[in-house]
Amino acid sequence: MTTVSDRLSRLASIREWIPAALAAVGVWLRRTGTVAQILTLVALVGVFAIGTKGKYLSPANIQTILSLAAIPAILAIGLHLTVVLGGIDLSVQGVASLVAIFVGLLMKNQYNSNDVGLWIIPISLGIGGVAGVINGVLNTRLRIPSFIATLGMSWVLYGMAVYINRAVNIQILDERIFKAINGMVFGIPNIAILAVIVAIIMQFIQDRTQFGRYLYAIGGDEAVAQQGGVKVEKIKIIVFTIAGIIYGLGAALLACRLGVATSRMGNGLLFPTITAVAVGGVALTGGLGGAKNAALGALIVTSLNDGMVLMHVNPYAQQAVNGVVLIAAVALTLDRKKLGFVK
Amino acid sequence: MNDTSSRASQEPVLALRQITKEFPGVVALDRVDLTIGRNELLGLVGENGAGKSVLMKIMIGLIQPDGGTIKLHGEQITLKNSSDAIRSGIGMVFQEGSLVPNLSVMENLFLCNEAGFRKLGILSLRSMRAAARELLAQIKLHIDVDLPVAEIGPAERQMVEIARLLWLSKLYGHDNPVLIMDEPTTVLADKERETLFSILQDIRNRASIVLISHRLQEIVENCSRIVVLKDGKNVTEMPASESRLLKIEQLMVGHSFSADRFHEDEQRTRGEKEILRVENLGKAGWFQPLSFTVGEGEIVGLIGLVGSGKEEVCKCLAGLERADSGSISLDGKKLPSGSPSGAVRAGIGHIPIDRRSEGLALMMNVADNVNLLVLNRLKAGGLLSPVRERKNAHHWVSECQIKTPSIATLCANLSGGNQQKTVISKWLSSRVRLLILDHPTRGVDVGAKDEIYKLMRRLAKEGIGMLVMCDTLEEDIGLANRMLIMKDGRLVEEIDSSPKKKPDPKDIISLIV
Repeated sequence: MTTVSDRLSRLASIREWIPAALAAVGVWLRRTGTVAQILTLVALVGVFAIGTKGKYLSPANIQTILSLAAIPAILAIGLHLTVVLGGIDLSVQGVASLVAIFVGLLMKNQYNSNDVGLWIIPISLGIGGVAGVINGVLNTRLRIPSFIATLGMSWVLYGMAVYINRAVNIQILDERIFKAINGMVFGIPNIAILAVIVAIIMQFIQDRTQFGRYLYAIGGDEAVAQQGGVKVEKIKIIVFTIAGIIYGLGAALLACRLGVATSRMGNGLLFPTITAVAVGGVALTGGLGGAKNAALGALIVTSLNDGMVLMHVNPYAQQAVNGVVLIAAVALTLDRKKLGFVK
Repeated sequence: MNDTSSRASQEPVLALRQITKEFPGVVALDRVDLTIGRNELLGLVGENGAGKSVLMKIMIGLIQPDGGTIKLHGEQITLKNSSDAIRSGIGMVFQEGSLVPNLSVMENLFLCNEAGFRKLGILSLRSMRAAARELLAQIKLHIDVDLPVAEIGPAERQMVEIARLLWLSKLYGHDNPVLIMDEPTTVLADKERETLFSILQDIRNRASIVLISHRLQEIVENCSRIVVLKDGKNVTEMPASESRLLKIEQLMVGHSFSADRFHEDEQRTRGEKEILRVENLGKAGWFQPLSFTVGEGEIVGLIGLVGSGKEEVCKCLAGLERADSGSISLDGKKLPSGSPSGAVRAGIGHIPIDRRSEGLALMMNVADNVNLLVLNRLKAGGLLSPVRERKNAHHWVSECQIKTPSIATLCANLSGGNQQKTVISKWLSSRVRLLILDHPTRGVDVGAKDEIYKLMRRLAKEGIGMLVMCDTLEEDIGLANRMLIMKDGRLVEEIDSSPKKKPDPKDIISLIV
């Protein structure tokens, strides 16, 4: 008898437990500000699934979306940090181009006898990090607005890449790394798993470390943060450095994934990265949104573009749609109380 | 209460002696003394500009005094910045608040002091939450500690700030911290005000509190001792039990009343013509429907405390805010509601309190600022005529006696008084009918004040109507023909202020507080 009543009570407690758990998940989603993004993604998938008669939901297409979203997601996780801070980092294209050249010339290639193998990872991260430190110092010590400092840096780095490489395509001949990056585990692209790991680590840092707390304090109200004792300049330089390091990682992955490195590799990366950040719900006014938002934003943007290709939307119209999406996302996330004048 | 005040006299926690602070052109504090006893609730009162806020900022290290000493428990200290002050157990709850809006209550409580919750670089949210709940329970605040501060009310934000300061001083080992509260009740409803004071009386058992407030009633009711400042000097201090409202009011305003400081002999009587007519103008939550007029050449003083609704009335008149009901007419013509350009076209000029950010384009030169509103009249053949621009600028520079090396000088390089004259001349040049002057003499020196008073008298002679909000009550009384008293969003009284029949400031103070 006792066992039956035990089971019954256990059942009852589970019945109570499930709604409580669902409610907790709901609260968590609301707090993290990803409800709108998840609903958007579900709506997009629904529309395209119907529009392509299910082709959109085929395993092959889902794998394509995941592998295509991975690198934009990594770059967006880097860039969104500077947006949370209340600034922006536009140097992603320059960093990517320069890193690509180093990847091409230091890994096994057809032009020289270098073959650094996996050492390319710390090298790429290092180049990105140095660029990020310079961005941070320009922004904090010389007090140059971040969008100008980083835009300038982007062209400086791009110029260096072109000077070294002169727009030649360098074939990367390291088969092992090429295979590892384009491989899959249980049907999930490795590169997507990597992006998820980067997102989880960054989100953890944001939620559970003092650095993360200060990042949001500066984004929320820099004057109050400074008064409270946050070392604003130091945190800013660290943020730009981390952003640069993450671009370095993204660029190395991109070059290895394509198997070709060129100084043009960075071109066209900035727009989808910023769109991903905005669509993910990271407010351009700072202080809101985390790595999960940036990654989710990249997934939404990639899903949208993949769907439009499958539905044979005119390519020029696709670009226009992306532009509209960027403006709409910013319009929805901007905290206008913080803006005195829009310039 | 007697018990605590006697203890206070034995053992001062914080003692400021002969504190002096000068800013260019003004002595903000002139040898001011202030002692704060253990477990004391001290009231600090004085008019705007009496030096209360400067004194407070010195106590929390935001401003360095030019002279005088600060002693904490009998030992002399120097406070270089606000974190120095916190470490010495002195903290302030600011009027505008110092919490980060996007962070949660818990995150704000421990911001910059998370070290105690860190293990291997990772913060334990569980122990932070528990500590936060305990802290808030101590001051009887029961809210979700995970809510972002932007989503809680002003009363709760204040309590969170108090909890933060109490926790910090405990962290730095102070058993009797000094809490400074700057106008804590202006943002609160009646009920919340009562709660705040009951909590403050409770906190008093483990802290000293300095309360700054314009509401004398609550100071007399709650404080054990009252210190009155006037013009940067100590006037008096007294036990609250012996004080009467009337006496404090007298002390705040002072007796030095020189009649012709405001050129009262030049005050003209109101002309026949009515310039501004406001009928049943109202905006929900800001001010109740009210009506008044301003006549030709008349200066009308608008008087009330912060939060009385006077600023909001002026914003509606200048078209910066849209009123819910009622109408504004100028020279008999109705104005569109909520349109700044409509107000300017009709002839309403607004001289904002913050001329640096709103009244003047500082990075433009004097001529460009003066001509800004009348560019239409300075055209020749569809293009701006440099000759006419120069002519207009020269005319107004000499008319308003703006002291500037040339009309091409950047306004940023002018003194405060001359900047203000430039703002006024900008409006005069646009043939304004009604000028709204929001604290026209704030931050300018005595000489420039006099010139601004003279200028206002001349404008009145030319028939321009003026609505003015001044820094001090004396200034209001001295300048105005008539005064409108506002309190809690209502127009409560209209007082005549013709020369030789100027009302007594004490009577007015009792109306506004």
